[in-house]
Amino acid sequence: MKTGIFICHCGHNIKHTVDVKRLSEYFKKYPQVTVSEDYPFVCSEPGQDMISESIGKYGLDRVIIASCAPSLHGELFKDLLRKKDLNPFLLRRVSIREHCSWVGDDIEENTEKAKRLILSGLYGAAHYVPLEEKQVEVDKSALVVGGGVSGLSAALFLSKMGMQVYLVEKEAQLGGRVRELKSVWPTRMNGAKIIEEMENELKGRKNVEIFASTKITNFEGFFGNYQATLDTPEGERRITIGGAVVSIGFAPFDPVIKPELQYGKDPRVVTTIDLERAGDDLKLPDNPRIAILHCIGSRDEQIGKPYCSRICCINALRVGESIKEKYSDSYVESFYMDVRAHPRGGEEFFEDTQEKGVLFTRANIGEIIPTPSGLVLRGEDTLLGEAFEREFDMAVLSVGMSPPEDSKEMATLFKISLDKDKFFLEAHIKLRPFDTAVKGIFIAGSCSGPKDAEESINHGRAAALKLYGFLNLGYAFVDPFISFVDSKRCSGCRMCEQACVAKAIKYDEEKRVVHVEEAACMGCGLCNSTCPSSAISLRGYFDSIIDDEISALLEAI
Amino acid sequence: MLEQLATRVTTCIQCGRCTGSCPESGKTPFNVRMLVRKKQFRSVIDEAVPWYCTSCGACTIRCPRDVKPSEVIIELRSKMVEDGDIPVALQKALENTFVQKNPWGKSRNKRAAWMEKLDFEIPHVSETESKRLLFVCCIQAYDPRCMVIPANVAKILKAGGMEFGILGEEEACCGNEIRRIGESGLFEELQEENLAAFKEHGVKEIVTLSPHCMNVLKKEYGDTGIKISHYTEIVAEMIANGAITPRGSYGKKVIYHDPCFLGKQNGIFDEPRAILTSVKDLELLEFSRSREVSLCCEGGGGRMFFEVEATYQRNAEVRILDAAEKEAEVIATACPFCVMTLEDPATEKGLVVREISEILTEVL
Repeated sequence: MKTGIFICHCGHNIKHTVDVKRLSEYFKKYPQVTVSEDYPFVCSEPGQDMISESIGKYGLDRVIIASCAPSLHGELFKDLLRKKDLNPFLLRRVSIREHCSWVGDDIEENTEKAKRLILSGLYGAAHYVPLEEKQVEVDKSALVVGGGVSGLSAALFLSKMGMQVYLVEKEAQLGGRVRELKSVWPTRMNGAKIIEEMENELKGRKNVEIFASTKITNFEGFFGNYQATLDTPEGERRITIGGAVVSIGFAPFDPVIKPELQYGKDPRVVTTIDLERAGDDLKLPDNPRIAILHCIGSRDEQIGKPYCSRICCINALRVGESIKEKYSDSYVESFYMDVRAHPRGGEEFFEDTQEKGVLFTRANIGEIIPTPSGLVLRGEDTLLGEAFEREFDMAVLSVGMSPPEDSKEMATLFKISLDKDKFFLEAHIKLRPFDTAVKGIFIAGSCSGPKDAEESINHGRAAALKLYGFLNLGYAFVDPFISFVDSKRCSGCRMCEQACVAKAIKYDEEKRVVHVEEAACMGCGLCNSTCPSSAISLRGYFDSIIDDEISALLEAI
Repeated sequence: MLEQLATRVTTCIQCGRCTGSCPESGKTPFNVRMLVRKKQFRSVIDEAVPWYCTSCGACTIRCPRDVKPSEVIIELRSKMVEDGDIPVALQKALENTFVQKNPWGKSRNKRAAWMEKLDFEIPHVSETESKRLLFVCCIQAYDPRCMVIPANVAKILKAGGMEFGILGEEEACCGNEIRRIGESGLFEELQEENLAAFKEHGVKEIVTLSPHCMNVLKKEYGDTGIKISHYTEIVAEMIANGAITPRGSYGKKVIYHDPCFLGKQNGIFDEPRAILTSVKDLELLEFSRSREVSLCCEGGGGRMFFEVEATYQRNAEVRILDAAEKEAEVIATACPFCVMTLEDPATEKGLVVREISEILTEVL
């Protein structure tokens, strides 16, 4: 066995608290170690060259790179091995930065720990065997779930890039919530008009198929080759796609669960959405007294909505402005905790609204008491420290965004995680904001947290771009980490079958043993650890590897 | 102290929803938001102010940051109780409760005196098969106006074929008001004494008369494993399944006042109304401020035992004026404290206040 060990300094990151020279010297004494080097940045081009050259020069058959966490530069180092015709699964990454140098300050203790970590890698790698990496063809087509602005923009982008697009919308009409808006801030364009433009462009394209009034009943497969079953008005339809963008939007907050606001009980209490839907005649006097309440269904822990919905301050300003424009003799008072007019131009819009005569009072209304002559709002002007009871003809609740009603159902279907507020959870809030944990499944728009129309459109395009990047390669590698069964040891107890989340384990009634369906296996290892007779192994993670790695860590302690 | 009662003073954003929900705001010097602010900064507070709180709970139910302002008030009061800065009348109520296990200082031996007017015997809970306890508590045991409530409820439950018993002299004050006055040490003693009695006699179920008792037994006694209900829940069910049927007529306009501890704080709105609407010829009216926005009668949080400094139009009076405006003849409620506070202004206006059990007994 010819093993090469390459220890990275990561500039000062590792070198500062780990004696890298001592480490590279130390491992030279092991007979299976052919070369042991340390280098300032092994991920740099000269660093990579050094590794490539060593593989060729010494004919290495194992490569150990002790550096940052394996999730970083994973594919980079694998490619290095591939280019040298060495099986990429003979590479062992050891994290001596996140797991060692960043944790402690004591150089002696850190060096000792790094030594054990590398030793454990060395012992484990001794058991490695080349694994066959499957390259599969990728279907250059995409499923877009949800026909709101984010879904429409994703579909348009993918279609223009030449992908076959299937757009699925559960409602009869495309356009989601934006279609209902009379004037979309800041352009003041009619929402239905924006949707129509996008819809017409999409409908004119040959590579787009739109399914309205359609539900997705099943979704299975793997990256590049997913199958979806659609329940369309014309009957069931099965499609094959390379990946998907899920953009199922949001549900407006329903203030019925805040009984002290009287919504649903008194018709004079309305939401910003009701106001969009209402006709021109609001049945108000010529000099109406209107109250606008911010933060309804947002920033409220009593109802499990601690987050800011981000759109409702602008909506509240729009309501104030439109009432002032329509009724010049109106008295309009906006009750806020903070006015978060964060989008570009928002603060100026706030100022405009004030100039038009909308009054702003820093108060979170405690309760609304309906009386025959009007609605009495009880609150406190917190800047004056004075409690008040004021009467209005109408109270407008600026409602926030809640997760869509079917978020749980869709999350299960597409194996997407939910955050604590039940919105879709991205793989990483900053580095992978459109990705999910499942390859080829992306999320876009307000289903991953409150967004306005502009942000949703951009989000949809960005998710589509990421999916396009994956699919356009035309191929993908399938991880070879799948389970297999030693049928001689299998007792047929079927515990693994229950443990398997991917439903990849099948029981053979005749032979009374189980086997693994390789295409379905996700390589999670649950079956492996469940099996009482150690009959199932996971390629790349044999028990012998793990046992030896642990014994290296504990050696002489 | 139970975890769910822990306050979160530091997280307050001073939005004022508490003040906007508070029945004391505006007309008294009490500003709950300001007190939370002062607690955040450990500023000096006016000693008279925290005692206005009626512990109706509206602020805590609605606070968007879950600060629990009404619990902050209890914390402020606790400090004052420790330092002895407490109104004399409240001091007296605490001493009485310590000695006689009731705030009025009546003899503990007379705790079951209300039974004298009954024409049947109620067994001790240990002698019952169901181990169902009718928890009477102080005001119903001793106050001449409220002693009819346990008697009436006992009659109704008996008519509905329900077996139950009492603890008699072994029962101590539930401690709901004592904890809210800020005397947590005494509250814990009462709690321990009652829990020991429940355990000794194997109590499985408790029917309470006052929503205040129900609240504390349900939410602040910890996990007792005992089913706690208010009698209106039991009676509404009896009416629904036909165990009792009110036969007489009650041809009056009745307006129902939601007690804070029954309604807002424990979500029991429909059962008392269901009882009232089951009565023949009874016309049920509603206040503008009903259910979740019901106006507090100012009987809770220790206010039953002392008078605050400021003179202002009491909520009970506002309530009676509202009732008169709706042309109600009778104000019905389901809490002894509400009965006590509403009765004086009602009499002045020529209206009557009735605890629901009183109306039901009349027509049974």
